[in-house]
Amino acid sequence: MTTLSLKKITSAWIITILALFVLAIAFGITMRFNQGANINLDPAKFYSLLTTHGVTMIGIWAVAGMVAVNYLLARYVPVSTSLNVFAFILTVVGVVMLWVTTFIGHFHAAWTFLYPLPFYVAWEKWATPVFLLGLGVLGIGWFVWAVGMMLQILKKYSLRHTFAWQHLTTKHDVAVETPPFILITTVSLIGIIVCLLAAVVLLVLFFAEYFSSGSFVNDPLLMKNLTYFFGHTLANESLYLGLATLYELMPEVSGRPKFKTTWYVALGWNCTMVFVLTAFFHHLYMDFVQPVGFQMIGQLASYFASLPAAAVTAFSVMVLVFKNPIKWSLTNILFFLGVVGWLIGGVGALIDSTVSNNIFLHNTLWVPAHFHTYNAMGNVLFSLAFFNWAANEFVGNQNETKSYSLKIVLLLIGGFGFVLMFYFAGAYSVPRRYSVYPQEFTSAALLASAGAWFACIYLVVILWMFFDIVKKCFKVFSPSY
Amino acid sequence: MKAHEFVLALFLVSAIAIAGLFYYFFLSSRQAADGGGVSNPTKKRFFFFTALAVVMIILLLVTIPKSPYFLFTGENPSKVVYVAAKQYSFTLSSSAIDPQNPVSTEAIELPAGQPVEFRVTSLDVNHGFGIYNERAELVTQTQAMPGYVNRLRWEFTEPGTYNILCLEFCGAAHSFMRTTFTVK
Ligand code: HEM
Ligand SMILES: [Cu+2]
Repeated sequence: MTTLSLKKITSAWIITILALFVLAIAFGITMRFNQGANINLDPAKFYSLLTTHGVTMIGIWAVAGMVAVNYLLARYVPVSTSLNVFAFILTVVGVVMLWVTTFIGHFHAAWTFLYPLPFYVAWEKWATPVFLLGLGVLGIGWFVWAVGMMLQILKKYSLRHTFAWQHLTTKHDVAVETPPFILITTVSLIGIIVCLLAAVVLLVLFFAEYFSSGSFVNDPLLMKNLTYFFGHTLANESLYLGLATLYELMPEVSGRPKFKTTWYVALGWNCTMVFVLTAFFHHLYMDFVQPVGFQMIGQLASYFASLPAAAVTAFSVMVLVFKNPIKWSLTNILFFLGVVGWLIGGVGALIDSTVSNNIFLHNTLWVPAHFHTYNAMGNVLFSLAFFNWAANEFVGNQNETKSYSLKIVLLLIGGFGFVLMFYFAGAYSVPRRYSVYPQEFTSAALLASAGAWFACIYLVVILWMFFDIVKKCFKVFSPSY
Repeated sequence: MKAHEFVLALFLVSAIAIAGLFYYFFLSSRQAADGGGVSNPTKKRFFFFTALAVVMIILLLVTIPKSPYFLFTGENPSKVVYVAAKQYSFTLSSSAIDPQNPVSTEAIELPAGQPVEFRVTSLDVNHGFGIYNERAELVTQTQAMPGYVNRLRWEFTEPGTYNILCLEFCGAAHSFMRTTFTVK
């Protein structure tokens, strides 16, 4: 059941996430203008912004997926508002700690804080432990929350039913149908729980070395594997949470019958759950000391993780829309475009996850190119769709009359223009994470400026939606609500 | 067409195809009436899935053998170059490098048309070792990781001056960390 307190905490999340999003975009645009030589930041300042931007974006979109899933989960099982509030408080505290380290402490080891860089202190001494603690605070909040949701699901559905294994048998009479939403939420939450556990191990290893005063030293290869297992998995599971929301809401707002769990949906998502956990090996292709078997698993898993997800989800969305009368609204247009952005970003990812391409794409701007495509033009749109839907829900009116076509056109131009400049630069070997470009990359700065201007268009649309959505969200706090 | 341009073209064509298809799906819903939809979706899904799987398997079979781990493995490198990265410079040497006192002995010259080997490590944080040709195209690369030595084998076909750029974020001066060598 959706209670008033659930609406309130969800509103608080939406307002906070969107506010942080606007700021993080502004930092992104600042970085891109710096790379375009339009402004001139001190490199340490640039990398502080890079760290803040990365950690904030990854954080807010992971948690946005959890907010959406938690809200919709209330339709199926009781959900705990206090866990939700607990996660909110810890998230706010964690984000404040992280921003203090980057803006006041000048910490700038990037959001991946690759071992041993955080120990080569080029910032305030306290910033390293506080940054790691800040991540820990976020992690604990989300871990407890994710486990809480998982336990609620398991109270109603048996293990077999949560994973929809009954749909994999040849017997056609399935007594209990697992809603796709429950299946995908389960798969994503399991992934989140596993990667947060890896993060705990990583942080413990960092602190063990930090406090051992030299008697305990970590293994850089192990730490790199752990870092990317955590980072890659978190980023991917965020997307899957967005897809869970899509499965639940898109047919509903389109005025079409709900999606059903069939054997291929069940199989597809069960495969995805396994593949996604080993795809992170593609981050270590250029570490030749890594066992070759892992490298091969990396490419296989990267390819096959996309198969079930694409074949099942993209095809289902196509079947939903194709030659069917759809009640188009901002909400389902955002879902629909999110699928397009996700697929296009997926092609970029697939190209990069091919080892023989990775050798000339690894750590070039091709990497931010593809992940910004499936984030800024994929996952973000899934979450915005949910935010827009929830805001309309709060004011009790899903029938928007305002035209949204200008917003959509500007969003597409701004978003795809922005990422396209990354793709061009990436294909022409321009390195990622460079505060300024060496002169031999003759067009890199120009592409960066153009990307920044496109991103400004994107930001305008986000601000526009921000005001529409936040206005409605504030209503639930009014005493007369 | 060079590999860089090929992947860009492949990406753009795929992206436009996906965008075009979905735009077509969108348009088809605008004049649709109840009872429309995809005919025989289960069968079409099966074909789509099979086609996708076949394409992926072909791509795997074609690309995996080109992975750097399998290149020049049976050959003897005609020259070995030792590389030690350290915030924010590279030491290149034709003899093993003393970690306490890393010094580049001489300018490095490598033969064209013969496999050579770089033994790359780091003396502090993770760095990258990206080899760029005179047209600023990334030719090949490996990571420089403390405590490990990555062996990168390559055969240069074009003589000229090559730049090495750091390709793993290593701190504030990351984008200025570089060196050069020549191929004759
Ligand atoms: C239009 C809005 C955005 C702008 C202008 C922007 C800009 C940038 C820029 C300039 C970089 C540095 C690229 C480089 O040289 O390596 C970057 C990195 C990054 N961005 Fe964004 N970005 C945007 C949206 C997003 C979104 C929605 C996400 C969501 C996850 C995101 C996540 C990241 C991450 C994780 C990094 C990597 C940070 C690192 O290398 O440590 N960005 N962004
Ligand atoms: Cu470096």
